[in-house]
Amino acid sequence: MALEIYAYRCKKCGQLHYPFRMVCKKCGKNEVFEFDTVPLPKNGKLLTFTTVHNLPPDFNVAKLGLGMVELENGLRITGQLKIPHPTFGMAVTGKVEIVREAEYSKNYGMVFYPG
Amino acid sequence: MREVYVVGAGITSFTRLEYPLSEIAAYPAMLALKDAGLSKVDHVYVANMGGTRLNHQSGLASAVVDTLSLTPVGAEVIENGPASGASAIKTGFLAVASGLHDVVLVTSAERLREVNNLEATDFVATLSHPLAEYIYGVTLPSLAAMFTRLYMQKYGVTERHLAMVAVKNHDNALLNFFAHLHEKITLEGILDSPEAMTNNPYVAEPLRFFDCCPVSDGGACVILASAEVAKKLKKPLVRLAGVGQATDSHCVHERAEPTDLLAVRGAAAQAFKMAGVAPGDVNVAELHDAFTILEIVQSEEVGFFKKGQGHLALEKGETRIGGKIPINTAGGLKARGHPTGATGVAQAHEIVLQLRGEAGKRQVKDARIGFTCNFGGFGNNVVCLVFKRED
Repeated sequence: MALEIYAYRCKKCGQLHYPFRMVCKKCGKNEVFEFDTVPLPKNGKLLTFTTVHNLPPDFNVAKLGLGMVELENGLRITGQLKIPHPTFGMAVTGKVEIVREAEYSKNYGMVFYPG
Repeated sequence: MREVYVVGAGITSFTRLEYPLSEIAAYPAMLALKDAGLSKVDHVYVANMGGTRLNHQSGLASAVVDTLSLTPVGAEVIENGPASGASAIKTGFLAVASGLHDVVLVTSAERLREVNNLEATDFVATLSHPLAEYIYGVTLPSLAAMFTRLYMQKYGVTERHLAMVAVKNHDNALLNFFAHLHEKITLEGILDSPEAMTNNPYVAEPLRFFDCCPVSDGGACVILASAEVAKKLKKPLVRLAGVGQATDSHCVHERAEPTDLLAVRGAAAQAFKMAGVAPGDVNVAELHDAFTILEIVQSEEVGFFKKGQGHLALEKGETRIGGKIPINTAGGLKARGHPTGATGVAQAHEIVLQLRGEAGKRQVKDARIGFTCNFGGFGNNVVCLVFKRED
């Protein structure tokens, strides 16, 4: 099964949210948990990016690419970048992979490659 | 609402402090009590962000109030990330303004250097969204870096502008005995010379080492009192005239315009409205320059300069001591240091000194209106304060 990251669509007004929130930010009428889950699209364009050289202890690497991506449906997401020379607005495509591993935990998240 | 005055102020050196968190909060409180000429207060608020996790100290306020032998007055900890300090002052303001208390002691402490640099970075990164930011390795420098890249592209800010903020704030800190970094830096040394990449490597591109605040320990305190009490004490009258607070989305990527800091704009507008002054009336300001870019952007968002023109004002020297609106006269977070929970109170401390005319070599001439902006998370919880000299 392909791994997905989900957006949350308000059952009342259709507004998409990522990440999860308990009340719809558009209509505000949504009671708790009245959201449909929708897989986030994988393709988008790079909004901004950085290479971090000073990482928390869980990361066993010297540097790490991070960026914000605007996905096809207009939602934005923060993710890791495996792109050697990122540029503004470049097309990127995402894959759900392990992004952070500690002794007792594994976290899955979106990793972007050149699109 | 009653009027609220600042009647006492105290601060520790911002550096690595080798004594317990409760004493870091109590020491500036002693200085502030002495400064005010008071020995009793009605309530104690302690601003702190990481004591529970970093220093194995929960219920810090109980420890502080007893260390000061002020029991049985009430005491509590105020935690609001890096905006804890100004939040505690705001809480103290409410207590005095409402008439519940006449004299409130607002102290603060942070001891980040009890853990190593990477653990401190990780601790501060827990401010970000746990599932949509933190797990990716997002740290506060990386959020600031992504923000800076957009700002550079949109408004023409360059690495030279960022370095100019660092140079200015290091110069100011040389005049502040309590600052963390007493180190003269030059544009040549951190940007132009062949050694610049060694002296000033990238932390999160395009932000370099000298664009980021140091990790500091420290504490600061102010004492708030009603007009009746303040007028009996023999100190210049400084009134806490305006208080404002606003929030923004937890995830930075959810903001409609990622280069806007709407919480700063909102909090500042509220504080100015309450004080009945305009941004142009401010004589001295403390902005939250945890990263050099933030001083430039906040100077625009609070209304000192038009959006996108903060770096031009910086070039002209308008934010230096002696300029049109001196910013971060004590060195800012960049060079005074950034003990997270204590920073908001330290900012207020500096403004109180400036308005009283007690700031020594860094005194802004005839300062009568002061402003502070204390920035929590990456702009998701911001508290602004306006102070006025009266008499």
